[in-house]
Amino acid sequence: MHKLQDGQASTRLTVALLGNPNTGKSTLFSAVAGIPTRVGNFPGVTVEEKIGRLRHVGHEIDLVDLPGTYSLMAQGPDEQVAVNVLYGRQPGVPKPDVAVVVVDATNLERSLFLATQATEVGLPMVVAVSLADVSDRKGIAIDMGKLSRRLGCAVVRVAPPRGEGLDALKDAILEAPARGRPPAFSIEHDDADNGRPPVARDAIARYRAIERLLSDVVHRRPTRPLSEDRIDWLLTHRLWGTLTFAAVMLTIFSSIFWLAAPLMDLISAGVDAVAAQVGAVLPDGALRDLVVDGVMAGISGVVVFVPQIALLFFFIALLEGCGYLARAAYLMDRLLVGVGLSGKSFIPLLSSFACAIPGIMAARTIENRRDRLLTIVVAPLMSCSARLPVYLLLCGAFVPNVAVGISFLRLPAVVLASMYALGVVVAAAVAWLLSSTIFRGDPQPFVMELPGWRWPQAAVVLERAREAAWSFLASAGTVILAVSVVVWALSNYPKNEDLIASDMKAERAAVEARLIDPATPDSEREVLAEELAAFATPEGAEAARRGAIQRQSILGRTGRFIEPVVRPLGWDWRLGCAALASFPAREVVLGTLSVLYNLSPNDDTDEGTALTQRLRAARWDDTNRPVFTLPVALSVMVFFALCAQCASTLVVMARETGSWLWPVITFVYMTVLAWLGAFAIYQFGTWMGW
Amino acid sequence: MRTILSPSVAACEPRAQASGLSSLEGVGIGASVRVADVAGDDAVAIRLLEMGLTPGVMVRVAGRAPFGDPLELELRGYRLSIRRAEARRVTIHSP
Repeated sequence: MHKLQDGQASTRLTVALLGNPNTGKSTLFSAVAGIPTRVGNFPGVTVEEKIGRLRHVGHEIDLVDLPGTYSLMAQGPDEQVAVNVLYGRQPGVPKPDVAVVVVDATNLERSLFLATQATEVGLPMVVAVSLADVSDRKGIAIDMGKLSRRLGCAVVRVAPPRGEGLDALKDAILEAPARGRPPAFSIEHDDADNGRPPVARDAIARYRAIERLLSDVVHRRPTRPLSEDRIDWLLTHRLWGTLTFAAVMLTIFSSIFWLAAPLMDLISAGVDAVAAQVGAVLPDGALRDLVVDGVMAGISGVVVFVPQIALLFFFIALLEGCGYLARAAYLMDRLLVGVGLSGKSFIPLLSSFACAIPGIMAARTIENRRDRLLTIVVAPLMSCSARLPVYLLLCGAFVPNVAVGISFLRLPAVVLASMYALGVVVAAAVAWLLSSTIFRGDPQPFVMELPGWRWPQAAVVLERAREAAWSFLASAGTVILAVSVVVWALSNYPKNEDLIASDMKAERAAVEARLIDPATPDSEREVLAEELAAFATPEGAEAARRGAIQRQSILGRTGRFIEPVVRPLGWDWRLGCAALASFPAREVVLGTLSVLYNLSPNDDTDEGTALTQRLRAARWDDTNRPVFTLPVALSVMVFFALCAQCASTLVVMARETGSWLWPVITFVYMTVLAWLGAFAIYQFGTWMGW
Repeated sequence: MRTILSPSVAACEPRAQASGLSSLEGVGIGASVRVADVAGDDAVAIRLLEMGLTPGVMVRVAGRAPFGDPLELELRGYRLSIRRAEARRVTIHSP
């Protein structure tokens, strides 16, 4: 190993890391450069850029991790970026001084295709033969010396899990510029291929040359290790493969649901504690309300997504690292092609059942832009966990608990399941429609490598989870926070004391009037009496005041204003108000309803008993007609099932697709569908006399 | 422009013609065949060639997904998955 001599200038090299997907490139990057110093997108494109910095022997190396690519005849934006960087044509990235091409020791023929193409770029090159530990286990022996001589550049054996070859690789990188560029790999065209396009001719001739090159370089033991074959057979088997697949997906889905929940609660509690501290310090007034109810609540609303995002990406990285992700896409492909998607859409869509945000981010694994967009646009239709409280409350309160067919199958459960199914069915229909119209085109080809089984690397997996969570917080977080503050302002101002006082009086009078009215059923008198009594208590008065503030706020007034629009759905203005308030984040709907019905927002416990009672007793203004009938409950659920009420999702969508066009389109189509669906179910249900 | 058989003809007649050529789509699970050609000049054909499905290479059909599509192939020491539509383009020599 060399040392920097006195007087020798230290250099900074830009090194491009090129290679096929699944060659352990990420593992190598982590092992050599650690945590990347720059992560984001390459300027101007939605392709991830990852640059790491390291020092070796006093020199600095900037390692640019290029997107995995199979050929320098680029197909798709990812591969195009790799080519651009190599030729120094990618804005924002200096032309590399050295190209390190990672080849897979277990798959030398195919991974050398790219390596030999790279010799034509004209950069000093180093070939890193990766996964050497796996090839050792498989009994594959590679003559590195011969390979190096025939390629005309340094060839280094690396096995990052063992830490093998890393220093040798760094040495080779530093020596490469002095060695100069390797000769362009020579390929001879067969005259028989003359009728083909040049790219095809090249590909065929190249493989011929590679076969010749490797004929006495690689020696393998004739049989594959038995265990690998068995695993493969099991996992792609028609029955066992599907069952294993279902089990794996169920585990992931449940974990995101259940595992994340305690973490999310912890975060909420943590932020609440901080908010309480801040609240204690600040003097009473508008600033305090802004910070505590607006900003802190907004922060909580953003940070609470982090456990789900981190967990999901942890699992995806785990599955990707061991090779299962490709097999999952393979198993689901046929089903998804039927609606215009492809196998790779499966995990993003499944994850969206927990939360659309990590689901949409997971769509990055889909290289094909059309498929990716389509997946992102229908992902919010998968009923996410934020909709569940709404379903549970309304099903519990308004769906009769009768048996359907068999005794343990109850109607509320059936309705709940139907809401989930509704999302899936509508998503399938929308996907099919879009792929036959706007996204029309020939079905995108499915040519996908099924990587060999290997142990996922902890460093890479954890890095992916961390990276996903961080990029969400940094970019989406700021916008979501801003939106939360705006909504808070709209639902708390203007605070006209006269109007607030008269509102509270009117509410109280309405309850009194119903108590006096002989037509009111006895079952409700108890609830109404409780409500009347509550006005006298300090908590009750505070709740009534909050209700009044919200009812008289801009939001409240807008709710009243749009009442004609929601009447066909069977809603009164309070429901309209709550729905409006939940456009930025559907989680707030129950809290908003609580406040509108003069309950303290913390009264909406999981069973929401207090809220349930108030909802059941709710009447259209100045009448005795109940607001919440079964058709109304169903229409609310359908509306929430189909509507895009999540600013966070829209923001992430904009970031992932590179434009606000798609979130806007998604918002519009989903809101329209939601309204139509709610209208249909309400009218139909009322007509049927449910 | 040189094609041996148009893809549709290959799909309709999976078994031997006089030239002994059929497509990868009709090959049974577990069978090993030798590739004759990849039809078409478009990006898909190029990508199939670049992934190693070149004339003369040995390919084994390792399996099919539960709904019959896509196929799992083994060639050049690795596993590749392509749909039947793509497999239709790959003509093979009969064993």
